[in-house]
Amino acid sequence: MVCIKQVPATTAEKRYTADLRLDRAAAEAVINPLDEYAIEQALRLQEAGDVESVGYLSMGPEQAAEALRRALAMGGDDATLVTDPALPGADAWATARVLAAALDKMAPDVALMGMASDDARGSLVPGAVAALRGVPLLSYGSELRVEGSVARIRRLTADGFDILEAPLPVVASVTDQVGEPRYASLKGIMAAKRKPMETWSLADVGLSADELHGAALTRVVEARKPEAKPPTERVEDVNADEAVTRIVDWLTARKLV
Amino acid sequence: MSNDVAFFAEFSDGAPARSALELAAGAAELAEQSGGEAIALAYGPGAGDAGSLGAAGASRGIVLGDGPGPAIGHAMAAAAAVRELTPLAILSPATPNGRDLAAALIGLLGVPAFGPVRAARIEDGHLRTEQATLQGSVVTVSEPADGAPQPAIVLVLPSTFTPREGGTGTAAVTPAPASEAGSLGLAHVVESHPAEAAVANLEEAKVIVAGGRGVGSAEGFAQLEELAAALGGAVGASRAAADAGWVPYQLQIGQTGKVVKPALYVACGISGAIQHRVGMQTAENVLAINKDPDAPIGEFADLFVVGDLFAIVPKLTAEIRRRKGR
Ligand SMILES: Cc1cc2nc3c(=O)[nH]c(=O)nc-3n(C[C@H](O)[C@H](O)[C@H](O)COP(=O)(O)OP(=O)(O)OC[C@H]3O[C@@H](n4cnc5c(N)ncnc54)[C@H](O)[C@@H]3O)c2cc1C
Ligand SMILES: Nc1ncnc2c1ncn2[C@@H]1O[C@H](COP(=O)(O)O)[C@@H](O)[C@H]1O
Repeated sequence: MVCIKQVPATTAEKRYTADLRLDRAAAEAVINPLDEYAIEQALRLQEAGDVESVGYLSMGPEQAAEALRRALAMGGDDATLVTDPALPGADAWATARVLAAALDKMAPDVALMGMASDDARGSLVPGAVAALRGVPLLSYGSELRVEGSVARIRRLTADGFDILEAPLPVVASVTDQVGEPRYASLKGIMAAKRKPMETWSLADVGLSADELHGAALTRVVEARKPEAKPPTERVEDVNADEAVTRIVDWLTARKLV
Repeated sequence: MSNDVAFFAEFSDGAPARSALELAAGAAELAEQSGGEAIALAYGPGAGDAGSLGAAGASRGIVLGDGPGPAIGHAMAAAAAVRELTPLAILSPATPNGRDLAAALIGLLGVPAFGPVRAARIEDGHLRTEQATLQGSVVTVSEPADGAPQPAIVLVLPSTFTPREGGTGTAAVTPAPASEAGSLGLAHVVESHPAEAAVANLEEAKVIVAGGRGVGSAEGFAQLEELAAALGGAVGASRAAADAGWVPYQLQIGQTGKVVKPALYVACGISGAIQHRVGMQTAENVLAINKDPDAPIGEFADLFVVGDLFAIVPKLTAEIRRRKGR
């Protein structure tokens, strides 16, 4: 089961609503880029016959169904959207509660996630879901394998890499080193329209709005533009010697040499 | 509930990681603001020596475990310790290990999480964190929601706090309350493949000379090595350069690589994609050398030199060496 999040496109202009939440309606929405790598990894496992089926799970507004449809166009079998009026503004903890509850119902061998979401950037949801479900975490894999009753990842270390292993079921997260995500083919896009997609409410996963503490244990009190940096100094149309002189002067003025 | 500020102190090869020293200083600073103590939650090989963090700012240390396994294996011990301490906040390094431990605590304890942050403080007993969201386009200030339980967990970016120098003292060390590692302890290392050559730790470098696709080859990177050596720094890279196999992935800077904050960042043949930018935009001084006058890095570098890096870099190296009298 691949957990995917719909996020504003990296290039889209972002705006905040009056209550300091991201105005998701104003920005073009895409599958979180790092989740595309998780999708790619899952589809490769399915093609190799290591896993039987690939499904997608997302928590988000109704329009997140578009992200699920796009994932289905890349491949895989079915999708589930958890959406509820109580969920906008959900933080890492609330998101993990909801995903863990949905995954409890689905009981997949592997819940596969991206290493981080573009907007929250916490890399917290995978570990929190593993803790809530009481299953092992294999995080930051540059490759995931499923062999019989165990899962294995390759993970970068300070100076090399390790292979980590855990018994199924697991929560796993993968990096952008698993291989470039495929594009959806026209055939895939057509096929995706007929693949099953379910929509669940909070009650469907056995949770109530009260339990989720207003969907967030955190609150944004201020949002502002970062302090403007001084404008860039440009060195153009000069030969290499002149460029070097200018660079050294600049380094010297800033006491960097 | 206490006013204490705890922090995760990672040890490896018998010594505290750089992040442990930075967070010890940070926790001491926040503890002073809250009127509590700075408490180290130490894990990893050498964690038994957590007392040494006294000189770095810690008043007390609790040893979660000194095994070499993945950090999340210490999550149940951390949760048991934190239930007893109920500190105001826990600072956690925004590294893979630190994030996994923090994430597990969020799941186990149902507590708020912040970050990755680049500033944190306690004002009138309330935690406030500052975070650049949405790839740096907006800065938000956050705090725990009303009624949110303690502690707040704060992921802290490298170089947010500066380690104390010349400190003295030893922190009193106790073991964590007994706990079972549980299912989070089941993930384990079955093979280790260290690299043959040593790999620089970019998070500690004061100067980074980074290369991108424009560097063209591993041989091209040798020229950057020379410049880095002359400046007393280390070499970093864009993902394109790591993907090409010119340098190991440990040197990649950006969203899926390291986040660095050196005094000087020299970007050679790097276009400045947003995913690269988020890893280096807080560098104090950014010099970019790029032959494309319209490269996006020209919009946020401090000094943007339009030119061929192969013509400029060797001459720059020679001039810096000459000035240093070598
Ligand atoms: C999910 C995701 C995560 C990513 N994470 C990262 C990350 O962590 N780090 C990262 O770096 N990227 C990351 N990327 C990739 C990023 O989007 C860019 O593709 C990448 O940073 C480009 O690398 P580059 O600047 O080296 O190459 P290019 O964009 O190809 O730029 C090469 C530059 O070199 C210049 N050049 C060429 N020859 C010369 C010369 N002789 N002299 C001077 N200049 C020259 C060119 O003008 C050009 O500007 C990520 C992408 C995705 C989708
Ligand atoms: N709302 C969501 N719906 C589904 N998956 C999510 C959601 N939020 C986060 N995830 C998953 O958790 C990963 C890490 O996200 P984060 O902790 O926000 O950095 C993402 O790459 C997704 O795989």
